[in-house]
Amino acid sequence: MFKVVIAGGFGAGKTTAVGAISDIPPLTTEERLTEASVPVDRLDHVASKTTTTVAFDFGRVGFTDPHPFELLLFGTPGQQRFSHLWYDVCSGAIGAVVLIDTRRLEDSFLAVSFFEQIRLPFIIAINPFDGAHLFPHEDVRQAVDIAPDIPVLCCDAREATQVAAALVTLVDHALTRLPTSLPLDI
Amino acid sequence: MTPPPRRPSVAADPDTTAFVRPYALTRGRTRPQYRLRLESVMHPGTGRPGPGLPEECGRITALCRARPRSVAELAGTLGCGLTPAKILISDLLAANVLVPGAAGGASDPDQALLLRLRAALTMKWLDE
Repeated sequence: MFKVVIAGGFGAGKTTAVGAISDIPPLTTEERLTEASVPVDRLDHVASKTTTTVAFDFGRVGFTDPHPFELLLFGTPGQQRFSHLWYDVCSGAIGAVVLIDTRRLEDSFLAVSFFEQIRLPFIIAINPFDGAHLFPHEDVRQAVDIAPDIPVLCCDAREATQVAAALVTLVDHALTRLPTSLPLDI
Repeated sequence: MTPPPRRPSVAADPDTTAFVRPYALTRGRTRPQYRLRLESVMHPGTGRPGPGLPEECGRITALCRARPRSVAELAGTLGCGLTPAKILISDLLAANVLVPGAAGGASDPDQALLLRLRAALTMKWLDE
């Protein structure tokens, strides 16, 4: 059982990417979060609460060879405030693919900060939308302000092979982040 | 965001009714009795859903009998929201209608597991 997070802003292609490789059509699950809002003067003296809905996409890929196992895909919105749902989605995940629409680069900043903070390996995947200027990857790296070792690649979220290639890149990156054991033969 | 109406009418506000309905399913409970992870996989158990459980419980049971499913997939299939789904799944676990899969779910993967996933992804999509 593996988990991978697909993060990105609204319209960056998360659901498309999940659907490109999932065995089932992507499912959307909602979680309603109720939180006390900032106290304001109200005539009725009723403590006010706000309810926000956070939704995530879910998909799964079943593998059978040599033994059956599943890859669970979680698409999460990148521009919403973090909630316990973010931690639930990320706990035990091998890493995250941050899908980026270069026309709305800033939509990815919160997700990138969050993954850095919880030390979840992540890669940047630029979804090349028609009409979007294709910036050099190094310019994107600089704009998002990420470490030099974090992979940046192009990934058409509609193409299963490209999404799979992004996942392989993520696995390779996660492998470099494993705690290294000391070699025995020094 | 629009301010709440001065005299909220539960029936008239579609957002409010959407909020009420899932928790009607759970008879007002807002917390599941078990801590369930999104990736916890549910297998069918030997118990039977008792009377008085909502029909969604029968649906969950049928889904898990067809193929063991994660909490996230069950919640997405039911479409009633994550927490209400967790509460219903908890009820079914308590009645032994469902049993959790081995080891609960994903843990931090090690090198061997990551290489296995890498090979599986490559074989399925990238080997020509």
